[in-house]
Amino acid sequence: MTALRATIVGAGGLGGPIAISLGAAGIELAIVDHDIVELSNLHRQIQFTSLDLGEPKAARLAGVVVSRGGSARGVIRPWTPDAADELGADADLIVDASDDPKTKFAVADWAVANGRPYVIAAALRYGGNAMVGAPGAACYRCLFEDPIDAPSCADAGVLGPVVGAIGGIAAALALALIHGDRSRVGALLVFDDLRRSAEPRIVRFAPRPGCLACARAPISPVATPVRVAEVH
Amino acid sequence: MPSIRIPSALRALTGGASDVEVAATTVGDALAALDRRHPGIAAKVLINGAVKPFIRIFVGPDDIGGLSGLETKLTERDEVAIVPAIAGGCELCTEAVAEARGA
Repeated sequence: MTALRATIVGAGGLGGPIAISLGAAGIELAIVDHDIVELSNLHRQIQFTSLDLGEPKAARLAGVVVSRGGSARGVIRPWTPDAADELGADADLIVDASDDPKTKFAVADWAVANGRPYVIAAALRYGGNAMVGAPGAACYRCLFEDPIDAPSCADAGVLGPVVGAIGGIAAALALALIHGDRSRVGALLVFDDLRRSAEPRIVRFAPRPGCLACARAPISPVATPVRVAEVH
Repeated sequence: MPSIRIPSALRALTGGASDVEVAATTVGDALAALDRRHPGIAAKVLINGAVKPFIRIFVGPDDIGGLSGLETKLTERDEVAIVPAIAGGCELCTEAVAEARGA
C-alpha cells in the first residue's frame, strides 16, 4: 500500500493544525516554509513552544508530526513558481496555509496547471475562508482574479484561535478531498465571524472567462470527473 | 429590504456593522445605496464600474458573475455578500485582540 502524499505550504497558525491532522491520518507530508519561529507567533501557532524559538518552522512542525507517529519532512524554503515543480512533484494534494496572497495564487496556479486537487485556507481578524479546488472545476484565480491589494493579517490582524479553527476546517476538507470526496470542489466556505457563528456561508462560483490559470489546465473547467489520488 | 453582508475587513467603513439593509432592486443599486450611507465603501469594492478582481459578490450562494453581474436583480429577502480575497495566519493584531476583550 502506497501512502497518499500532501504538500502543505505554510507551517504557521493554519499549517500547524493542518499538518498535525493530515499526518495523524497517515498522509505523508512535505511542509514548505522558509520562516523561523518567533515569540510573537506562539499565541496562535500552538504547535510551537519557546524551545522552538529561532528554529525553522517547517522542520519543527515536521518534527511534531513525526513525534505523533506521522511521516513528514520540512522543506526550508519559500514556495515560488521556480521551485514549485520540485516542491509539489510527488504530492497527491496541495494545501496552501501561507499568509501571503501571492503565494496563494502561485500554489493554486501550480495545482491547476499540474492537475492536482488543492485547498486554499486563509484567516483574517475573526473569520476566514477555505476554498476547495480540483481539475475540471473553477479555480482560485477564477474566484479572485488577482492578488493585488488583497487585505492580509499584516493590515488587519487575526485573532489567534480563529487561525486554529480555520486550519482545522481546511484539514477536514483536505482529508475528504484526498480520499476522493469532491462534494466541496468549486466551493468557498466563508466564516464571517467565528466569535458569533461557526456556520459557514458556502458559495459556489463559475469559471471566469479568460482565466489565465485555467488556460494552462490539463482539464478545462467544465463538469468532468476529477482525478484524485487513489488508495492502493 | 435586501441586506448586504459586510466583510470584516471593510467594517471600519460601516461603523462596525456586519449587515446593512438597503432599498435597492439590483446589486449595483445596492452598492450605490450602501455608499451613500457609508461613503467610500464602493471605492473599496468597485473600480471603473466593475467589481475589483480580488473581490467577489454573491447573492445568497450564487456568484453574480454567473448571473447578471451588477445588474443582478434583488428581491426583498436577498442577502448580498461581499467576499474579498484574504491571506492569513500572520501577525498578532492588537486591534483585534482589544476588540475581542471588549476594549
